[in-house]
Amino acid sequence: MLSNQTFRIAWRNLGRNRKRTLLALTAIAVGQFGFLATSSLMNGYGEVYLNSVTGPMVGHIQVHAPGWREDRSLDLTLENLETTLWAVREDPEVKYASPRIYAPAMIATEGEGFMGVVIGVDPIVESHPSGLLAGQDFSRQVGDHRVLVGRSFARKNSIEPGMEIAVIGQDVDGSIANDLFVVTDLISTSVDIVNSLGIVMKLEETQELFMMPEQAHEIVIHVADTDVIPSTVARLSALPALADEEVLPWREIVPELVSLIDLMTGFRFFILLIVFIAAMAGIANTMLMSTFERRHEFGMLLSLGCGPNRLSGMIAFESAVLGLLGVAVGTAFALALVILTSKSGIDYAAMGGRDASFEMAFKGIYASSRVIPRMYPSDVAFGVIAVLLTSIVSVVWPMVHIARLHPVEAMRP
Amino acid sequence: MENALVDVRNVTKDFYVGKIVVHALRGLDLAVHEGDFLSIVGPSGSGKTTLLNLMGALDVATGGDVRVFGRQLSTLSRRKRAELRLKMLGFVFQAYNLVPVLTARENVEFVLELQGVGSERRDRATSILEELSLGELVDRKPSEMSGGQQQRVAVARAVASRPRLVLADEPTANLDSKNAEMLLQMMRQLRDEQGMTFVFSTHDPLVVSYASRVVTLRDGTVVSDESKN
Repeated sequence: MLSNQTFRIAWRNLGRNRKRTLLALTAIAVGQFGFLATSSLMNGYGEVYLNSVTGPMVGHIQVHAPGWREDRSLDLTLENLETTLWAVREDPEVKYASPRIYAPAMIATEGEGFMGVVIGVDPIVESHPSGLLAGQDFSRQVGDHRVLVGRSFARKNSIEPGMEIAVIGQDVDGSIANDLFVVTDLISTSVDIVNSLGIVMKLEETQELFMMPEQAHEIVIHVADTDVIPSTVARLSALPALADEEVLPWREIVPELVSLIDLMTGFRFFILLIVFIAAMAGIANTMLMSTFERRHEFGMLLSLGCGPNRLSGMIAFESAVLGLLGVAVGTAFALALVILTSKSGIDYAAMGGRDASFEMAFKGIYASSRVIPRMYPSDVAFGVIAVLLTSIVSVVWPMVHIARLHPVEAMRP
Repeated sequence: MENALVDVRNVTKDFYVGKIVVHALRGLDLAVHEGDFLSIVGPSGSGKTTLLNLMGALDVATGGDVRVFGRQLSTLSRRKRAELRLKMLGFVFQAYNLVPVLTARENVEFVLELQGVGSERRDRATSILEELSLGELVDRKPSEMSGGQQQRVAVARAVASRPRLVLADEPTANLDSKNAEMLLQMMRQLRDEQGMTFVFSTHDPLVVSYASRVVTLRDGTVVSDESKN
C-alpha cells in the first residue's frame, strides 16, 4: 500500500521535469478534448436527425394497415378511426396521436396540371411541437374547401394564396374524386413531402373526397419519453382495436437512420481509440523516461528497504495522476466549447463558407445545418476510463523494470 | 565468532564482465562487534564496497557464509533481506542519496514511515534532526543544502530508527575536510551515546584517524586488522 510520503514523492515528481509533464499532460488533454468535442458534435448532429425523424414525419410509433407501408395503396386503411384513436390515446404514455391520409392527386390551376399529394390531417393535433404543422394553428385556414399548399410546390407551379385549384384523384373504390379548393396559405415544414408535393387538407374533408369515412392511412404517435417506446408498442399491439394492424417503432420504420446512428457510434469509438493511443504515447514516454532517469534513486530506496511494490505503486500513481489531470483539462476545455455554443450552435454551412444556415435532407426529412453540441456524462466517463486504463497499461513496462531492479546495480554510477 | 553483529566466513564474490570472471572477494573472514567504529580501507578494486554490500544484505555472496545479527543471508529471500535492511541496518552512501523532492524532515520521515512508525514520525524526524544540530534544515530540500549538510541529513535518516549497525560507503568522499570532520564527530557521538556500531569503507585518512579499528583489504582478502586501544 502507498503511504503518505510515497504519495508525496509521486506527486512532487510530476513537477520535477515540468516541461515533460506539461507536454504529456497536453497530449492527454488534447486527446480528451478531441474526443469530447467530436462526440458532442456527433451527439448534437444525431439529435438533430433524430428529432427531425421522430418529430413531424415518422413520430415515435406508427400504426398502419398491414401492407400499406410497402404498397401505399389508397384502400389499405385503418377502419373505425374514432374508436381506434380513442383506444390509442387512452394509453398513459401516448402524448399525441395524429391520424393522416396520403392520396396522390392531380392538382390543376387554370390551364395547367401537376402531380401532388393530398395530406389529410387534423390541424389542431398537428400543431403540437412535433406535428406536421408544428407551432402553427391552421385550423381556421383548412376545411370548407380551403387548403394549405407546400411552399416549394407552390413556387414551382406558380400557386399563390387565394387561388382556386382543382384536386382530381381516385377514391378507394376506383371512381373519380374531384373538387375545387381555395389556397389559404403556403407552408414550410421540416418534411420534404409536405413542402414539395403537399396539399394539406382537413382530415374529414379528405375522407369525404376519397370516400374514406372513418378511415386513415396511419396514426403517428409521439410519447413523452423515448425510453418507453418498446413497452408502449407492446401495449398498443395488444389492444383489440389494433389487433389486425401493424404497430411499429421508429427504429423499424427508418432502419437507415438506425444504421447512421450506429455508424456515428462506431466513429466515436474510433476517436476513442485515437485518444487511447495519444494518451498511451504521452504517459508511457513520460513514465519510461522518468523511471530510467531515477534508476539510481530507486536503487537507493530499495537499499533502504523500500519494497518494489511500493515503488511500482508510486509510478502507477504518478501515471494515473498525470492521466487524470490531462483528462480534467481536456474535459474543461470541451465543456467550455459546449457551453459557449449551447445557444448559437455550430453552423456547418457557415463553416463551409455559406452566409446562412441551410437544411440538409435525408430520406425526405430536413435537418438543420446548425448543430448544438451535446456532452453526455457517459462520454466523459469513457475518456476517464480510457485514460485510466492507458495509465495502467503504459506503466507495466516501468513497473516490470523496477521489479527486476537490483539495488547494487541500480546505484552503480 | 561469538556475539558478533556481522560474521563473514570464507566469503567469495565473483562478478562476470562479459565472459571474464572477476574475483572481488577471495575467501574473506571478518567479524564486526558491537560498538566498533570500523574502517575498511584498501586500494580501489580491493573489495571494500563489495564487502559492505554483502554485510548490508544488498548483495549475496558467491560462496562462504555471511551472518548479520545471527541470520544467514544466503537463506533469506529478497523480501526478507529488504526487511532486514529496513529494520536492523542504517545506510549512508557516497553521494548523498536523499530523495530530491522531499525536505530533510520528509526524507527522515520516509524511512520511519517505511518502518511502520505512526503519526508520531513527524515529531521523531524533527527531534532526530535537532539532536544532530540540523534543526535549521528541516524544511529544506536537498537542492537547497550544501554537500556536507546533505550528508549529515543522510546520517540522520540512517540512524532515525536507532539501528544497531550503520554501514557507510565512502561517506566523506565528496566532502571538504571541515564537513568530513563534522560528519565523523556526529557519527562517533552516536556510537558513544547510543551504542551504535559503524562500518565504513573509505580511502580517507581522516576517517581512519577516527576509527577504533582498521581493516585493510587487498585483492579481496583481509591483509590486516588493527584495533586502536
